[in-house]
Amino acid sequence: MFFHNFKYSLKTILKNKMLIFWTLAFPLILGTFFYMAFSNIMESETLDTIYIAMVTDNEESAVVTALKELNNQTEMIVFQKETKEVAESLLAEKEISGILFLENKTNFVIRENGIKETIAKYVCDEIIKMTHIIEEKINVTLKEEFVENQKEIEAIIFRCMEEMNQYFQNYVPNLQNENHSNLNYIMIEYYTLIAMSCLYGGIISLMAVNQTLANMTEKGKRISVAPVKKGIIIFSNVIASYCIQLFGLVILFAYTIFILKVDYGSHLLKMIALALTGALTGVSIGIFLACIFKIKESLKLGILLAYTMFNCFLSGMMGVTMKYVVDQNIPILNQINPANMITDGFYALYYYETDSRYYQNLIHLLLFASFLLILSSLRLRSQKYDNI
Amino acid sequence: MIIFKTYLKILNKNKWIVILYTAILVFFGIFNMKTTETTSTFTEQKPNITISNLDGETRITQNLIQYLQEKCHVKELKETVSIKDALFYREIDYFITIPAHYEEEFLNHQNPSLKIENTGNYQASLAETILVHYLKIADTYNEFLLSKEEKLTKINETLQLETDITLTTKKDTSAFAKSTAFYNFANYSILAGNIYIICMILASFKNEKVEKRTRISSLKMETLNRHLLLASGIFTWVLCSLYIMISFCLLKESMKSIYGLLYILNCFNFSFCALSIAFLIGSLVKQKEAINGIVNVIALGSSFLCGAFVPLEFLPSFVLKIAHCLPSYYFISINEAIGKMEEISFQNLSTILIPSFIILLFSGLFIILTNWLTKQKQRIA
Repeated sequence: MFFHNFKYSLKTILKNKMLIFWTLAFPLILGTFFYMAFSNIMESETLDTIYIAMVTDNEESAVVTALKELNNQTEMIVFQKETKEVAESLLAEKEISGILFLENKTNFVIRENGIKETIAKYVCDEIIKMTHIIEEKINVTLKEEFVENQKEIEAIIFRCMEEMNQYFQNYVPNLQNENHSNLNYIMIEYYTLIAMSCLYGGIISLMAVNQTLANMTEKGKRISVAPVKKGIIIFSNVIASYCIQLFGLVILFAYTIFILKVDYGSHLLKMIALALTGALTGVSIGIFLACIFKIKESLKLGILLAYTMFNCFLSGMMGVTMKYVVDQNIPILNQINPANMITDGFYALYYYETDSRYYQNLIHLLLFASFLLILSSLRLRSQKYDNI
Repeated sequence: MIIFKTYLKILNKNKWIVILYTAILVFFGIFNMKTTETTSTFTEQKPNITISNLDGETRITQNLIQYLQEKCHVKELKETVSIKDALFYREIDYFITIPAHYEEEFLNHQNPSLKIENTGNYQASLAETILVHYLKIADTYNEFLLSKEEKLTKINETLQLETDITLTTKKDTSAFAKSTAFYNFANYSILAGNIYIICMILASFKNEKVEKRTRISSLKMETLNRHLLLASGIFTWVLCSLYIMISFCLLKESMKSIYGLLYILNCFNFSFCALSIAFLIGSLVKQKEAINGIVNVIALGSSFLCGAFVPLEFLPSFVLKIAHCLPSYYFISINEAIGKMEEISFQNLSTILIPSFIILLFSGLFIILTNWLTKQKQRIA
């Protein structure tokens, strides 16, 4: 009986085009959009070389020499000597971030406010400050050594400049970088996509259970008076829904891993366990809504879709920051949000070295699904109709 | 009039969808208001950093923290927030740990290490530039001056020296960046709102029973089609006007300028194109259940591919090539051009006139396609 109903339940679900679109096709389409829109974001976050034009009437000055030295030391910023006209046209065409005028007075001309302009300003400031320090050093040395001879003075100036320039060039700040390599926040979008796919499985189970309810469909009425165990019918329907949902998840994972080249990390077994539990949670939400509310199927579906999308929104689907904002300010909201439990579980696997956060999410999901299934089964057992 | 009344009745049934798309746009508009400061003079950008000081109240360390507080947004994180999460979600871009005995080692010329964690983005690069800038000046004075008091005075004096800055643009580009972002996002609301409502209404009129009754009635098909087109045109115009009014409420000053008028004209032009797309889809689709899926694919697809959700400069080149085939790309390109336009001149206006003309061409193409499809269907019928 179980397998007979299981087979027909699978056939019924697979013939429903709307169901197949939302549970199987839509996550793939959305994943493709995410890939197209976000695949370049991480690269565009890293700083490109900043090009600054330098306009000067004295190529031998200490500042120009310092800037030329800087070009050899760093790739972050490049100072290129240009005429005033060329520099201005390059700035207008946004080929450079600014023009440093080193004439009577130092002036840095920029087109608009921005990070590149601010960084370039700090570099220009540094040159001015270093020149000031060199002048101070020369004055102090001249006072200390009491020299009056012009040649000796020049020698001291030259020595000080050499000494200080050597010092600046050799100076390396001691910064101990303890960066984490997995900082790609766009991964959260893909995790919410998997969460959405898991919870959309609720649509299948909702429709499958509705088919067995006497107050919802003609088929339900026939089942309720048929001499078969109602539990077996519902169970086979639910298992069929779960199987189709898992099939959808396998396609989604395969598509994102092999076609979109999303790197989920190396914890394959833990990922599968989380996806299976997430899918179970989705199914349990569908069963719960089907059993609890005595309303039209379209309304039940509306509630399920709204609930799923709102949960995905809170877990960062429409903006990664939202998950963080909710986590920090109203943590309880995300602790009872199954989409966030799934997203956070994947996030923990991706970003954290320890597994405690992952297991915490996995257990919460299991408890959430169990709670809904127990409530649904109590509700189903108590349903009796004198008439419909 | 009967057609118009029926149109309004169906529209009333679907009003929640219009409210939903409008609410999404308003939410985005309000969220967008908080992003950047508006100014037309040079303002240094400040990265978000957090400092963990294990060296206590020592003077050299405090001087470093004071400088960083002046040049960066130093954020105190809640006790429950982990630094790792704050970095991942970009609440902070740079985290500095000043170790114990930092001052002592610094004064002994041991070049003590600072532990750092960063996001590797633009803001993090800026934070590092600021930190290295300070360390370089401080270390130089530490090397060449003897007294600790004198060192601090000299370091702070030298840090005050700054380059003179001249900003060439006179337009407050950051204020217009918000208007551009708002109208770029409106691409989604305009497309989704128009396609969903118009397709739903057309599908209601195409219901087999309704269509048969209409055919045997005294009403001419041309009159029906003309009235449907007129009613849809009015709906599109009202929806577009609503979004423009919202932009006036949220963006005030920038919308009152001549550039605001350009945004509005572009919005009307694109809304007309959305109307033509809605009619084309409406002529192809009969099942109401399919409309929701089609709206999601078309409106979300156009918005993701053409830069409504993610700025155009962040999109990969292959996506931009595909986007050239969609009207949304030209709508968003015009918004971007208006936002960056420094003065109204013939040369600047020509950069927005060509894409505007392309949007009109798209509208014309969709109308021709719709007519052709309708005629084909009538022949088959």
